[in-house]
Amino acid sequence: MIQRIKNALSRCGVSLWRINQREEETAELFFVKKQLDTRRIKDVRKYEVTVFRDVEAKDGGRPSRGFTSVMLIASMDDERLDEALKGAYYAAQFAANPYFDLPDPVQAPMVEKTGELAQAPLAQSAGKMAKALFAPDVHQDAFVNSAEIFVVRSACRIVSSEGTDVSYTDARVNGEFVVQCREPEDVEMHNTFEYDELNGEALSAKVAEALTFVRDRARAQKILKSGKYDLVLSGNAVAEVLSYYADRSSAGMVYAKYSTWRQGEDVQGETQGERLDLTLRAFHPYSPEGIPTGVDLPLLEGGKLLTWHGPNRFCRYLGIKPTGDYRRLVCANGTASFESLKKGPCLWAVTFSDFQMDEMSGHFGGEIRLAYLIEEDGKVTPVTGGSVNGSILEAQKDLAFSTDRYLTARYDGPYAMRLKGVSIAGAGE
Amino acid sequence: MFPSIDRVKPGLQKLIAALGETYPYASVLAVEDDARSWRVSRAGVNISASGNEGGAGFVVRVFDGTGCAEYSFNEFSEEKIPDICAALARRMGEQNAALEDFAPLPTPIPADEPAVLKKETAWKVHPRELGDEAIVNKITALREKALAVDERVLDATAAVTYRAYRKLFLSPNRDLDQTIMWTNAMVAVMASRGQEIKLSYHPFSLLGGAELLDQMDAGVEETARKALELLDSQPIPPGEYECVCDPETTGMIVHEAFGHGVEMDMFVKDRALARSFIGEYVASPLVTMHDGSAVDESATMFFDDEGTLTGDTVVIDKGILKTGMCDALSAARLGVAPTGNGRRESYERKAYTRMTNTYFQGGASTPEEMIASVKDGFLLETPSSGMEDPKNWGIQCMVTTAREIKDGRLTGKLYSPIVLTGYVPDLLKSVSMMGGTVELSGSGYCGKGYKEWVKVSDGGPYMKARIRLG
Repeated sequence: MIQRIKNALSRCGVSLWRINQREEETAELFFVKKQLDTRRIKDVRKYEVTVFRDVEAKDGGRPSRGFTSVMLIASMDDERLDEALKGAYYAAQFAANPYFDLPDPVQAPMVEKTGELAQAPLAQSAGKMAKALFAPDVHQDAFVNSAEIFVVRSACRIVSSEGTDVSYTDARVNGEFVVQCREPEDVEMHNTFEYDELNGEALSAKVAEALTFVRDRARAQKILKSGKYDLVLSGNAVAEVLSYYADRSSAGMVYAKYSTWRQGEDVQGETQGERLDLTLRAFHPYSPEGIPTGVDLPLLEGGKLLTWHGPNRFCRYLGIKPTGDYRRLVCANGTASFESLKKGPCLWAVTFSDFQMDEMSGHFGGEIRLAYLIEEDGKVTPVTGGSVNGSILEAQKDLAFSTDRYLTARYDGPYAMRLKGVSIAGAGE
Repeated sequence: MFPSIDRVKPGLQKLIAALGETYPYASVLAVEDDARSWRVSRAGVNISASGNEGGAGFVVRVFDGTGCAEYSFNEFSEEKIPDICAALARRMGEQNAALEDFAPLPTPIPADEPAVLKKETAWKVHPRELGDEAIVNKITALREKALAVDERVLDATAAVTYRAYRKLFLSPNRDLDQTIMWTNAMVAVMASRGQEIKLSYHPFSLLGGAELLDQMDAGVEETARKALELLDSQPIPPGEYECVCDPETTGMIVHEAFGHGVEMDMFVKDRALARSFIGEYVASPLVTMHDGSAVDESATMFFDDEGTLTGDTVVIDKGILKTGMCDALSAARLGVAPTGNGRRESYERKAYTRMTNTYFQGGASTPEEMIASVKDGFLLETPSSGMEDPKNWGIQCMVTTAREIKDGRLTGKLYSPIVLTGYVPDLLKSVSMMGGTVELSGSGYCGKGYKEWVKVSDGGPYMKARIRLG
C-alpha cells in the first residue's frame, strides 16, 4: 500500500510528503460485575498522508510552506487515492505558514517491543488482566461494579520524501473500572489504568486501593467548610498539576506567545518549598514526524527551564533542534515520606469527579469525591463534596513531594504533593 | 455521495448471510465519511482531512453461546468473507478459553423487526463547494477582527469543521441507510496579563453545511470583550446563590448533571440513582427534558449505530422522570424498548447508551425578568467543562464567568472560574423561572467517563435556579 501511495503522490505532482502507517489489533473485554458483557476484537490499518506545498512569496523572498493531512485505507482504488491526495495538495497552498525545514531523515531497523504483552496472544493477555482486575474483588461491602479492558498491539511505520523510514511496534493495556460500596451510603468511584507491560500485580494493587477508598467514601461526611487548606494531592492528580510545566514549555505555546517562558528562566520563581526537577520521556522511539525520541529530555532543573520541546515546525521557528513529542512526565522530587507529608492539619483529596489543570490560566480544580480531613492531633475524617479551586502560580511558591513513588504509562514521580493555602469551597454549609 | 457504500453493500449482505449460518444473530454497520477542518491562529493555518471520528470501516455484531461479540475492521471485499468469519470464530474461541472463570451476562438477542429506510439531511452550501481558499479567507478575517478589538488581545483562533457521513446498517430484517452532514465553528479569544491567560469562546453549529459561516461575524467582538473582562475577574466567594443560567449553561446542566444519569446502560450496571426515581418528581414542574432527533442539530440522525430508529424521548415531563435513554443491548436486558441512543465513537468502538440532542423545553419568562428577580446572585455564562456522577447525582460543572447581580441589576463585577457543585435534584427542583427561547449548541463532543467521544448537542432556554458555586 505504501508503494501505491507513493505512486499516487507522484501522479499528483506531490514532492514533499510523509506517510504514517498504523496497524492496530485489539482484544477488548467489558464486564458488568464479574459477568462478561461483550467481547470485541479489532483489526484496522490506516495511512495518514501529510502533503507539503511551497507557495512562492510575492516579494521574491523565502516561500511559505503549507501542509494538509488526509487519511487513506487500502480498499480505496487508485482513482480515490488520487482524488484524496489532489484535494489535500490543493488545500495545502491555503495553509501556507512561514517556511520551515522538514525533519532530518532517519533510517533505522524496526524497533520491536518485547515482553509478554507484545508477544502473547491478545486473548490470553486480556484474560490475565481480567483475572488480575477481579482478584481483589472478594469483599461483601465493596466490590467491582463494572470494568473494561483493552489490550492493544500496534505497528507503526513512518516514511517521508526526505528519506525517513523508521518503524516500531508497541503493546499496551488500558481500561477502566468502577468500584461500588452500598453501605452506609451507596457510592461508586471511577478509575482508569494504562500499562505498557502485562502488569497484573499493579492492576490488582490499584483495584485493592480503590476498594478501600470507596469504602471510605461510603462513610464520608459532607462537612467540609469553605476556606484555605494545606492540600495534599496524590496519584494522577499530581501528574495533572505537573502537566502545567510540560504544557507551558511546549514549543507550540511559546511560538504562539501563549507562554513567555524562556530557556534558562526560573519558571518556578521564589519558593520556600522544593525546587522542581522534571524530565520528559517519550511513549515511542519516534515521534509521528519520525524524530527519534528514545532519549529522555530534561525539562526543569531546580525550577529552571532547560528546554522547549515539541514538533518539528514550532521547534524550527524557535531555532532549536526539533525534539519530537514527549508524553510521559518524570518528576525526581521528594523529600518526605507520604506519612509525614500528610501530617495534619491538611486536606488529602484522594479522588475527584474530574480534576483538571488549565494550562492557560494555571488554575486547577475539581469536585471532591473523597478526601481525608486530617487534624493537627492526627484525627482523620473522610469527607466528600466541595471543590478545589487553586492556582499553580501561587501554589508553586511552597511545594513538597513524597518520597513514595507512583508509576503509570504517563507519569513516573512522587505519589503525593502538598500545596499550601489552597482555596476550597465547602459542602457542609 | 459515498458511492463505495453502494459497491460493497451486496458483499455485506452476503457476509450477514454467511455469519447467519453460524450465529443466531448477525448485523453489520458500514461507515464512510468525508471530513475537513480549517483553523487559523497565531500558530498558523491548519487544514486537516484526517477526520476525528474513525473514518471508513465496518463493525460486525453477532451473538454466540457466550453472548454479544463484535469485530471491527476496515478492509472488506467479498473475497474476504471466509477470512472474516474464520477470524471471528477463532479469536472468540481463544477469548472464551481465556475467560473460563467468568460467566456471561444474560442477554436476550435484541429484536430485529423489519425496517427499510434511506434518508439524508439537507445543506445549503457544501463546504467543498465553497472551497478551502474562501473558508480560510473568511476565518482569517474573523480572527483579524478579534485581534483589532484591543491591544490586550493575545491571540484569536477561528475554526470550522464539517463531517458528512453515510452509515449503512444491515441485519437479516433491516436495511437502513442515512447520509448526514453537520458543520461546527468557533471563535476563541485569549487576553493576557503577565503569566495568566484568560480565554473566551463562541461556538457555532448546525445540521447542514458552510451556510454556518454567515453566523460567525456576530460573535467575534463580543467574544473578545468577554476575554478582556475576564482579566479583571476575581475568585468567587463560595456559597449557594440565586443564579440565572445562559442557554449554554442550562445545556451543560441538562447534559452533564442529569442526562448521563438517565443513560440506561447505567441502569443495567446499577450505577444510576435515576432508576429508582422513575415516575417521581426530580425537578420543578417547569422542567421538561427531551433527547432525540426531533430537532435539527449536530447529533440528529435517523437511526443509531445498532440499527434502532430514532425519535423524540421525553425524559422529564413537567418535573416527573418518565424514562431514560437506551441502547439495544441494555433494552434487551432491562425488558424495555430501545430509544435509538446506541452510539459508537466510531466503527472501531463499542456502542453504549449515549445522548444525542438533549435539552430543556422552553417556558414563559425572559432573561430580563429573571435578572430583575434576583436579589443577590449571579448570571452564569460560558460553560467550560462538566463531569457526570450518575450514581450519586453529584454536580461537577465549570463555567467561565459569573456576573454579579444585586437587587435585580447586573453590577458589572465579574468572577471566574466558577465550579458548580451540589445535588442534581436539589438544583432542578429549585428551578423557578424558564425562558421562552430554546437554543442548542452542537459544537462539542461528549465522553463516557474519559473516552468514547461522540458528537452531541445540548441546550435549553435561560433558566433561574439556586446553585452552589465555588
